[in-house]
Amino acid sequence: MEQILATTLRSAAPLVLVATAGVFAFRAGIFHLGLEGLMITGAFTTVAVGEATGSVELGILAAIGVCMALSAVYWWVIGPLGANVIIAGLGLTSIGLGGTAFALGAIFDVRGSIFTDVVLPRPVRGITSGPGVIIAEQSILVWLTPLIVLAAWVVLRRSRFGLRLAAVGEYPFAARTAGVNPSIMRLQALLISGALCALGGAELSVGALHNFTENMTNGRGFIAFVAVIFGVWHPIGAALAGLFFGFADAVGIQSQINITERVPREFVLMIPFVLTIFAVWLGGLWRRRSLEAEAGYAELREPDY
Amino acid sequence: MTVPSPSGPAPAVTPAVRCRSLGVSFGAVRALHHVSLDLAPGRIHALVGQNGAGKTTLAKVLAGLQAPDSGEVHIAGCKLPSGDVRAARGAGLAMVHQHFSLPPSFTVVEALELTAFRPGGRSVFRRAELRRRWQSAAAEMGGEAVLSTRIRDLPVETRQSLEIVRALATDARVVILDEPTALLTPAAIDTLFERLRRLRDDGVTVLVVLHKLREVAAVADTVSVLRDGELVLGPSEMSELSQGRLSDAIVGPASGADRTVGVEATVDGERQTLLELVGVSSRESAFEPGLRSIDLSVETREIVGIAGVEGNGQRSLVSVIAGLNAVAAGSVLLGGTEMTRAPPARRRLRGLRLVPFDRNSEGISRRAPVWLNQSALRLIGRPGRRLPLISLNQYKRQATEALDHWQVRYDSVSQPAESLSGGNVQRLILSREMAPGLEVLVAAQPTRGLDFSATNFVRRSLQRLRDSGAGVLLVSSDLDELFELSDRLLVMYGGTIVARFEAPYDRRAVGDAMTGALR
Repeated sequence: MEQILATTLRSAAPLVLVATAGVFAFRAGIFHLGLEGLMITGAFTTVAVGEATGSVELGILAAIGVCMALSAVYWWVIGPLGANVIIAGLGLTSIGLGGTAFALGAIFDVRGSIFTDVVLPRPVRGITSGPGVIIAEQSILVWLTPLIVLAAWVVLRRSRFGLRLAAVGEYPFAARTAGVNPSIMRLQALLISGALCALGGAELSVGALHNFTENMTNGRGFIAFVAVIFGVWHPIGAALAGLFFGFADAVGIQSQINITERVPREFVLMIPFVLTIFAVWLGGLWRRRSLEAEAGYAELREPDY
Repeated sequence: MTVPSPSGPAPAVTPAVRCRSLGVSFGAVRALHHVSLDLAPGRIHALVGQNGAGKTTLAKVLAGLQAPDSGEVHIAGCKLPSGDVRAARGAGLAMVHQHFSLPPSFTVVEALELTAFRPGGRSVFRRAELRRRWQSAAAEMGGEAVLSTRIRDLPVETRQSLEIVRALATDARVVILDEPTALLTPAAIDTLFERLRRLRDDGVTVLVVLHKLREVAAVADTVSVLRDGELVLGPSEMSELSQGRLSDAIVGPASGADRTVGVEATVDGERQTLLELVGVSSRESAFEPGLRSIDLSVETREIVGIAGVEGNGQRSLVSVIAGLNAVAAGSVLLGGTEMTRAPPARRRLRGLRLVPFDRNSEGISRRAPVWLNQSALRLIGRPGRRLPLISLNQYKRQATEALDHWQVRYDSVSQPAESLSGGNVQRLILSREMAPGLEVLVAAQPTRGLDFSATNFVRRSLQRLRDSGAGVLLVSSDLDELFELSDRLLVMYGGTIVARFEAPYDRRAVGDAMTGALR
């Protein structure tokens, strides 16, 4: 049981960070399907710069910078250039997945995977039994994640900035009448989102593991997006959803170890995805009322972009 | 030796609002052209004009929501940077929008805080603190409970009060209201006008965009008229202006009077029931109560009016008749045939036609060309033809004929339907829906937001339709319209029909029924 909870925290932390990134984008009205690409870019940049400089802090700073730059490009493409948000997001994901695989070969001259010693500190170590196992060997980012979620909640739900952002996402005309420039707000949301994706990616490569592997995010960016929807784009809701998916993942991993003799491995591997479908269905039921209300508002809507 | 004559020019007062040769174009369309206007402080100024005359554009330019191509705006003598909402708000100008401008999922306090312009305020807040800050605003909207209500759950009147409260929250010296009466009941309009007079007495300058001359006469001190983007009259004192002169200014030189168009319904002489609802109920939606055992019938040669404050089930009623909403209990019959579960296309083939509530989002496909919008009905079920092939040229030709017959003004049949003005979109819809085969027409708010001549056109068309034998179900929030057109009048409240009236109508009794006072 302790093992499952420990694994839950480990696999949930990146999901929660990236889901929080998704909440920022969603509140600005952007269906951000580029989360996966930003996440893997963050994972790779941390490892690459960390290896080059020997400093994990510099690695993470570089990852944040690169992801924010990519987010700015994404904003430019969907905003001023007017490209489709979903397609451009998927493009960003492809660029992230392909670009990191290419860079891995070009810079380190290896294929598939690279090991690194430059990893995040782990505040509590050396506990091997009892409930302490849950918090042992967790990277500093796992410890910080609750604080980041709390900060996101304050910014999104208890600040003027959050109100403006929600207005931009829900009804841009309302934001404009309040003297807010929706385009600039979207840029700010995407920049924050990019930084959080970088952290999520870094936790994956140098927090939970010691390596970068091609396609190591393995759909986590999309699952994080699902967590945003499942958590009704509330920072706490999305974090809980991320935690839930992390738990599902942990159960999958554990049962893979324990029960593979009795249940085919493929079924066990399906568990996270089945749970995802179930969660999306549940979230849909929960949201139906609010959607109807929005449909009722359609006639009041002014086309804004 | 000069003695100032008493009738000489009045002492120069700095106008509260001054615009100088404002010009705005959207592509080839000239929305405003050389508009120069001075508004004296502390008065109620009305701005009138037909649809597309540029009223809303002018209001938006003043509020900083639209940057003009040329010209400038001064508030109390200070020039405003163009297209800057914050600067306009900072100069004391606030705007109440025609379409509500607050996000539906926000609570009232959140909405107020969103638009508060208090420099130096803390940017992070606690809920309780917010409620305390806006307590005084709540008093104007009927109690503190309203503060944590979501915008979408507010009644229309409260929503508008909120818009006004938020406009005034920053000590506005100039308030612009864009068609504030469009969604209100007569009583609520009186309350609104009372409020405007109080604002004026406090020294606030009010600019209000209005549609009905009766309302202009009731509230305005001066009136200005826009026509085709140009200021053709005013600001002139109401007391010095005749109704006739005002109407002429609005409509302009006679441009080939709008004749009505003959409509042939295909109903034979005998009186029969065309549309019947028996004990119909439906599920509630998030923004309207469900229907509760509605009984109604529409017969040949009659217009049945549905009155009621908006949001009392009128939308559900129309959706259920059109086949867009499921019926929970009861049945819907068209020409005596059971149609409760029939899809919309079958109902249309049976002679049902629909002028929907929102012409731009439900009545047309906005990006599709004009001719395709006109032809849409012909694309469903063409019995007697075996091959599902159509001739585009034939469709275009037929559409052109129908559009010209209905005097729709357009540049090309291939232009997107959204580029037509409101009145022309409604003509387009009528030209489509009133095609042969019509037996019963459901017209939902057919004249809302239309100008004088377009409104008249639509009303005359409905009467001609009735006289030719068809049945009409007219849903409207305009009591004058209902009284003028309806042969019978039903009042909806809380999802059911609470009263039935026959002409002549008693305005007070109908009004009471609309507010649920009968129950």
